[in-house]
Amino acid sequence: MKILIVDDFATMRRIIKNLLRDLGYSNITEADDGNSALPLLQTGNFDFLVTDWNMPGMPGIELLKAVRAMPKTAKLPVLMVTAESKREQIVAAAQAGVNGYIVKPFTAVTLKEKIDKIFERIQG
Amino acid sequence: MEGTDYEQWLARAQSLAENIQMGNDDAVNRIIDEISRARESMLFQELGKLTREFHEALNGFRLDARITHLAQENIPDAKQRLNYVIVMTEQAANRTLTAVEEVMPVCEKLGAQSKDLHERWEKFTHRHMTAAAFRDLSKDVGSFLESAPTDAEKIRTNLSDVLMAQDYQDITGQILQRVIRLVNEMEEHLVRLVTGSGLRTREVAPPATPQAAVATAAASDTVAVHGPHIPGSAPEEEVVHSQDDVDALLSSLGF
Repeated sequence: MKILIVDDFATMRRIIKNLLRDLGYSNITEADDGNSALPLLQTGNFDFLVTDWNMPGMPGIELLKAVRAMPKTAKLPVLMVTAESKREQIVAAAQAGVNGYIVKPFTAVTLKEKIDKIFERIQG
Repeated sequence: MEGTDYEQWLARAQSLAENIQMGNDDAVNRIIDEISRARESMLFQELGKLTREFHEALNGFRLDARITHLAQENIPDAKQRLNYVIVMTEQAANRTLTAVEEVMPVCEKLGAQSKDLHERWEKFTHRHMTAAAFRDLSKDVGSFLESAPTDAEKIRTNLSDVLMAQDYQDITGQILQRVIRLVNEMEEHLVRLVTGSGLRTREVAPPATPQAAVATAAASDTVAVHGPHIPGSAPEEEVVHSQDDVDALLSSLGF
């Protein structure tokens, strides 16, 4: 499975990458905001997108909307991992078609649960 | 000193010198009094000018509502944010140290046990071992192999905890970026205030470009919406407090 991690903080990308590797996913690409993620999503065949919200350039919510608007990625599962914890933001992400939402700081167990749930739903 | 002032001073000085030469004590005292009065009135004029500038600066300060807002709201908010950064970095440091301290002895134990078993194994392969010693060795190998996976798992768990503890960098980084933006904005407002109030401006840095001011305004708008939540900084009902809250909210939306 090919995964794209989008976060402006390199430390957070490394953490998520390590956690995903721990869960058995090793085909991972990184991008530091929506603007650099979009071309990758257009050309690469990604199966899963993990994105932060608050990033300079294109924030995660705009990236999510752009992903849903492109035919190639319209159905791509998207997990948001973010420090944004306002209710209105979670609602906005849900309305934009997010598949899962994790608030930072989070645990490895939470990440595993949400990923499992997302793929269960897609396969089911 | 102005031209007319200069002539007046010169006239006074000449008249003073003449009167001293003539031994005209009354006139000498009168002229000295005149000179000191003139000097005082100059000082008063300067003082008056300074007072007016200061007064205007204070008025400007009161009129710049953004500065009042910065001082009353943003600075305490920034202090709260910076304190939160201290709390988070301290927690992360403690979490990392605890995880490391816990597994350090486990690693030492694994190393010592392997070394001991290896030495005895060497004796055995060189046939320097009694049957009784071999039975002990065999028993110790068995218990070592039994405990090694548990120890390895403990090390893995703690390393993973060390990994997760590094998430503070992301959150504190976001908070610090916002405080830096606030400091920049504060600086711009103060510079504008000083420039506009008629105080000496030569030593002050030039005011930021309009573009920069617009960028800051736009940035502070996004600041209002985005970024990590600081405990006590926003109405509590607007913010979720745990992953469970997120899950509950999403499931209420049909997720």
